[in-house]
Amino acid sequence: MEQDKLENLLNELSDRTREPVRPGLAGDIKGEIPRDLSRHRGGLDTIRIMIDLRVNRLAAAAVIIATMVVGITFWPDGVSNSDSLYQDGKLLVKYLLKGEMATGKNMLAGLPKTSDFFQDGREVVYYGEGVEKGDKDALMMHWKISEDSYRVIYGDFRTEVVTASELIRLQAKMLQRKAK
Amino acid sequence: MEKQETLATRLQTGERKAAVEFVDKYYERIYLYMRRLGHSREVSEDLTQECFLQAWRHIGQLRSGRALKSWLYHIAGNISKLYWRRHGERGDVSLADVDIEASGEDGSSLIEHNEQLVRLRDAVGRLPLKLKQTVILHYMQHLTIGESSDALGIRKGTFKSRLNRALKALRKEVK
Repeated sequence: MEQDKLENLLNELSDRTREPVRPGLAGDIKGEIPRDLSRHRGGLDTIRIMIDLRVNRLAAAAVIIATMVVGITFWPDGVSNSDSLYQDGKLLVKYLLKGEMATGKNMLAGLPKTSDFFQDGREVVYYGEGVEKGDKDALMMHWKISEDSYRVIYGDFRTEVVTASELIRLQAKMLQRKAK
Repeated sequence: MEKQETLATRLQTGERKAAVEFVDKYYERIYLYMRRLGHSREVSEDLTQECFLQAWRHIGQLRSGRALKSWLYHIAGNISKLYWRRHGERGDVSLADVDIEASGEDGSSLIEHNEQLVRLRDAVGRLPLKLKQTVILHYMQHLTIGESSDALGIRKGTFKSRLNRALKALRKEVK
């Protein structure tokens, strides 16, 4: 049989063996769509953003470690997130091996296991290179917990929950420091 | 029709509506792929669902938007392979159990034509899995050579070589 004829027959076979799909299958699949499709990507994206912004390596490592700590806290079985956590871990090791591994471990001990971190896609605001490690007055990062309630982490990795107006005051202080 | 790149980008940002569109666009094709790989109706439905579950779980690993379709087929192929491994190689049904829809025309030439189609269907079903996948992806699921080779995780050259071997085997069987 010639090649063309065989190809035509195969194409026809494709049409003729098409069978109807059970109504409701699409609905069943849609019912399994996770509430938050991108939640497991938080760590990886954070690493990318940090690298893109060329921010302080130590502070970036703190955010990455915190992401992983929270990831493990949330998903101890690691069923659905094991791959992405593993990938994040590999990137983290690569990143930290450029230096400061020991300090990275200290950070891990100092960071709180905050259960609201990255939950529901909350955005972490990072304040950049201006923050010196151990600076207890410097605002290193914050994220929103609820209306008028924000979690902040200082340069010495101390953490507290503040109101919006308190956060604005802290931010103003940071701006004044940068202006000096 | 939305471009694959756009849909992939929306999926990567975690947009739920994009996930719904993704299901609508591909669930029938994946179901038919499973059927053509030789799974029963019931198993094909389960495997199709599993395919999308795996897609949600690994959406962060999707790198290129253009690869969305082949990425999904790649997952489907792996799920099918895993099923065979757990339940015995082709322990279910073969392509021969997928019915050929009757044509509305009559006549002896048509009967002969249909017989040829049945022989071809059976011959495709008997091909080794690696060769069968090339024929199914390219001629029955209508993926391009590039998409098909991506879906199987092999080079284009390797795919073409397998496809040629498959066609040669089919030509021998269906004269």
